Amino acid sequence: MRKSRIVTVFMLISIMFTSLLFANGQSEESTTADKLFTIGMSQCNLGEPWRVQMNADVKSEADKYDNIKVIYKDAQNDTLKQRSHVEEFVSAEVDLLIISPKEAQPLTGPVSAAMAAGIPVIVLDRAVIGDDYTQFIGADNVIIGKAAGEWVVETFGGKGAKVVELMGLQTSPPGQDRHNGFREAIKGSDVEVIFEADVKWLEPNARKEMESALSRFDDIDLVYGHNDPAAHGAYLAAKAAGREGDIQFIGIDALPHEGVAYVKDGILNATFQYPTGGNIAIQQALKILAGETVEKNITLGSRLFTTDNVDTGGVELK
Amino acid sequence: MTDSTQTSALMKEGRFVRFLSSSAGRATIAFVLVMLLGLIFNADGAFFKLGMHRDALRQASVFGILAVGMTVVIITGGIDLSVGSILAVSAVLFSILTLHLDWPAWISILSCIIVGAGLGAISGTLIAVTKLQPFIATLAMMTFGRGVAKYITGGQKISTYLTNSDGEVIIKELPRIFKVIDSRIMGGNIAIVSIIFLFCLLITWLFLAKHKWGRELFSIGGNEESARLSGVPVKWTKFLAYTVSGIMCAIAGIAQAAQETQGDPEAGGGYELTAIAMVVIGGTNMAGGRGGMGLTLIGILTIGYLEKILSINAVPESGRLLITGVIIVLAVLTQRKNRN
Amino acid sequence: MNSDLSTPVIAMRGIGKKFGRVRVLENIDFEIFPGEVHILAGENGAGKSTLMKILSGVYTSYEGTISMNGKIIAPATPLEANHMGISVIHQELSLIPSMNVRDNLFLGRPVTSLGFVHDREQKKKALSVLNDLGLDVSADALIEDLSISMQQLIEIAKAISINAKVIIMDEPSSSLNSKDVEILFSLIEKLKKQGCGIVYISHRMEEIKRLANRITVLRDGKFVGTSLAEKLPTPKLINWMVGREMTNMFPRYEMNRGKEKLRIENLTVSDNEKTHVKGINLTVNSGEILGIAGLQGCGASELLMGIFGAYNRKTADHIYLNGKEISIKKPSDAIKKNIALLTNDRKATGLVLSMSIIANICMSGLVELSQWGWRSIFGEISATEKQAEALQIHASSYEMEVGMLSGGNQQKVAIAKWMQISPEVLLLDEPTRGIDIGAKHEIYQLMNEWTKQGISIVLITSEMPELLAMSDRVIVMHRGSLTAEFTREEADAENILAAAMGKETIRR
Ligand SMILES: Nc1ncnc2c1ncn2[C@@H]1O[C@H](COP(=O)(O)OP(=O)(O)OP(=O)(O)O)[C@@H](O)[C@H]1O
Ligand SMILES: [Mg+2]
Repeated sequence: MRKSRIVTVFMLISIMFTSLLFANGQSEESTTADKLFTIGMSQCNLGEPWRVQMNADVKSEADKYDNIKVIYKDAQNDTLKQRSHVEEFVSAEVDLLIISPKEAQPLTGPVSAAMAAGIPVIVLDRAVIGDDYTQFIGADNVIIGKAAGEWVVETFGGKGAKVVELMGLQTSPPGQDRHNGFREAIKGSDVEVIFEADVKWLEPNARKEMESALSRFDDIDLVYGHNDPAAHGAYLAAKAAGREGDIQFIGIDALPHEGVAYVKDGILNATFQYPTGGNIAIQQALKILAGETVEKNITLGSRLFTTDNVDTGGVELK
Repeated sequence: MTDSTQTSALMKEGRFVRFLSSSAGRATIAFVLVMLLGLIFNADGAFFKLGMHRDALRQASVFGILAVGMTVVIITGGIDLSVGSILAVSAVLFSILTLHLDWPAWISILSCIIVGAGLGAISGTLIAVTKLQPFIATLAMMTFGRGVAKYITGGQKISTYLTNSDGEVIIKELPRIFKVIDSRIMGGNIAIVSIIFLFCLLITWLFLAKHKWGRELFSIGGNEESARLSGVPVKWTKFLAYTVSGIMCAIAGIAQAAQETQGDPEAGGGYELTAIAMVVIGGTNMAGGRGGMGLTLIGILTIGYLEKILSINAVPESGRLLITGVIIVLAVLTQRKNRN
Repeated sequence: MNSDLSTPVIAMRGIGKKFGRVRVLENIDFEIFPGEVHILAGENGAGKSTLMKILSGVYTSYEGTISMNGKIIAPATPLEANHMGISVIHQELSLIPSMNVRDNLFLGRPVTSLGFVHDREQKKKALSVLNDLGLDVSADALIEDLSISMQQLIEIAKAISINAKVIIMDEPSSSLNSKDVEILFSLIEKLKKQGCGIVYISHRMEEIKRLANRITVLRDGKFVGTSLAEKLPTPKLINWMVGREMTNMFPRYEMNRGKEKLRIENLTVSDNEKTHVKGINLTVNSGEILGIAGLQGCGASELLMGIFGAYNRKTADHIYLNGKEISIKKPSDAIKKNIALLTNDRKATGLVLSMSIIANICMSGLVELSQWGWRSIFGEISATEKQAEALQIHASSYEMEVGMLSGGNQQKVAIAKWMQISPEVLLLDEPTRGIDIGAKHEIYQLMNEWTKQGISIVLITSEMPELLAMSDRVIVMHRGSLTAEFTREEADAENILAAAMGKETIRR
């Protein structure tokens, strides 16, 4: 049929067109210096803004140096895909591998294989099992959750506070850690969690749950969101109910255009940075490539941004 | 079916029985069940507050708009898996146009609707002309649409916080249109998004019930070959069905963006399943040919209220999944036509 | 078989059935004896199919009792009835089109070993069943690739292969051609000899006369009578069925042949697989009934479909209406030119069973019945009332789903849909399939009426008496080509059959 042939041709053209667009986006080459190092960056899921930020941090740091080139791969939240990405990097003989693994167990093997092939591996954010890697860089969610809890206890200084906790996915370690850290810090104080819900990191869910909390409780002092979008969603709900003035909102992650911007904008009272470690990874990679020995584990420090200090870049948490 | 003797003993023949044995009546059973759940587990009286009901309707609105389009498609015997992705495209496009490019609201809205209709039309063409199965065609569109949303945003949310060339974050004023869409009227008792939803439902209902096109949709869903041989413009009608679904996604996307004050390329993930559940619980037949907008409204309210009631009771995630699953099965069981 | 002819295998007593508030059966007694053919007759909607569905476990709530060899039974599902030895060939085919013949034969009771389907054994059994019946078909053929006629025979084979004590055949011949009807009849003889009791539902008088041992007649859900066949002469049977005398079955009195209405030149119809019709020329005059005869697969149905634009591939052909050339690319083009096609399978290609009577009747004329696309409810109701009255469609409400109507009433709805567009040319493919004799008579009268108004009719029918009595002219097709043309006077069963087998007698 003529019609369907036309449709097919049209489709083919548009396919070629789009693939060209994407190809353009990918071939960003840095100019060659004396010795060019190729670094493979295996990201487990670019669907999360925080991980997009991690890649951005890697890129902005890497752009400062002429002698490294980074190849990015996104496993789209698929363990097996990430596994084959690592294997592809190994057979492409990259000079160094940075991996932010989706899961520990299934990726431990491929990482060991890379090490065995003589490729140094930096593991970012989530660990692998054992110690067959060059370096682990990551932050500690329990510590950050605890810091958030301590901040609340301190801020309400003995007056007591009724808290709504909007949790990240409770089947994921970060969600559990941010919950446990917070609870540990408020234990024994008169800060009380009156409503909690698993919003799975998602802002629309947070708004829904907050609306329920608002209709149920007339007295809410603070919302603790396990990430900034959750806190932001809660703020929008409170604002719609005209109660945003009575409630404080705190979140975690502190991405520049999310949490930090929210604090600047007066939406959040505080946000606790969960650093991506992207920039540190490149710095460490350069050291490794230069043949220096590096620490086995680096625990990243976190920063606190509040209304008072956000313009000066926040303060380091102990 | 086993209790048919009891029921008939309980109720004498009459309007009530006839209503209960109609599709609408059977859909209402599930809804009433959910409302009873709310009465019993009223979360210290929160269920009786007006605000709760307003919020329940508002929260169901975005899903409801999707379900309206989905109903049209399902009546033809098709399915549209791409609704969540087209919603995301519309949400980010709307945010880019209004927040970053400062386009006037109405041009932005129109552009989003045109893009949504266009994406729906592509599915429609693949299905009506190229004869791809709806499941496959819209599955492809679901992936493609998500790709579009991520491509035009670079994977980042589009919000009032812009990073300029120096890496500094600047904060822009939220345009008025966002506030207008996410506001309430009638003494704060009804949200604008709910009105948008009800408006979409009403218009589509009018077309389904009173327009030639509605009849044609049903006839195609009932028996495509008979419809074709009776002179029904099968291709055109199907094409329009998916286009209308695309338009609904675009509207839902704008409503979503306005409520989030940003355009999230990940928005709408999994929404297609909720929309399908709403349609099916209402009693529209997945095989096509039977159903209607009124039924879908009942389905939307059933799921909307269920979510709200579970939420005000702070039921943990596991419990929510369990209860929702059971309610869906119960609702569809009561939907099933008794053979005799 | 030690069959005792004095006691019935099945005795149904005082059977009653209501759908909602509509009573469709009232106090029916019905018995089946081993080794007999028991004809169940009655007008459309009399409740014949419903009674048999009760017996075969399709409907489980009813009044009265069923006993089998003296024991009360209550089959709850068709499968359960199957296991009891009650087997049904439904009016509507119940095979699975995408599966092959042998899997369909053993559907629900596959030949297994250790829980796995034993393919080889199953095939062997299937072949023996097919051989026994003398069916010339591969056990591996897909159902959807077979002709309707063959599908019907497979359906029968399936019913027989379970060693049924009672076999119910609900209008089995309505989709068989004359050759296959003979196969069916010889099968029935065989079954009778095996002591199997057979219930046979049909609207065809010649079949009833030929097969019947006993006849039971229902009317409007009520029991009229049971009689031995030889004690029930045809006029009395008809009287029992329709409640009045009927004299002239085929009322084609005068013909009103006028000017040329439709002329087809060099029409070829093919699809991806084969050419169904090869370069056919024909003309129909206004007020004329042109009969088309031919065996199954001769291309007559495809010819009508081709004229109607239902096939999208056509080569250099010309269609003239009232002397002017017209272009028909799709069915809606034909409808715009007031050409209507009543297809031969109302369920698959004629009606939308899930929609109401109104919606079906107004389906083709929807453009005229709406303004700016908005439908006129009153317009639709009055159109439906007009057509329903003209065709005597019996239904408790016009909002009722067409799927709930009896077969004959469904056919009338399909016809009504086409009358609604005020056709100039009516292409009728088996218009009286499954219609009771009263209604048939009405349709013949209507055909007379229509031709009087100048409507041209092209008629395909597999019932020879109908063809001979109603056609003003007969053309015969064989393998997609014309082999003969007869005037009303020349046409008789013999020379039509000869031409249908491929004997060229065409004169110029
Ligand atoms: N599922 C149903 N719901 C409501 N009414 C029904 C249903 N099935 C059948 N009927 C009605 O019951 C009556 C008897 O129908 P049935 O199919 O038994 O007729 P029949 O004698 O087999 O007619 P035919 O010769 O046309 O096949 C009809 O009036 C029909 O409309
Ligand atoms: Mg019947």
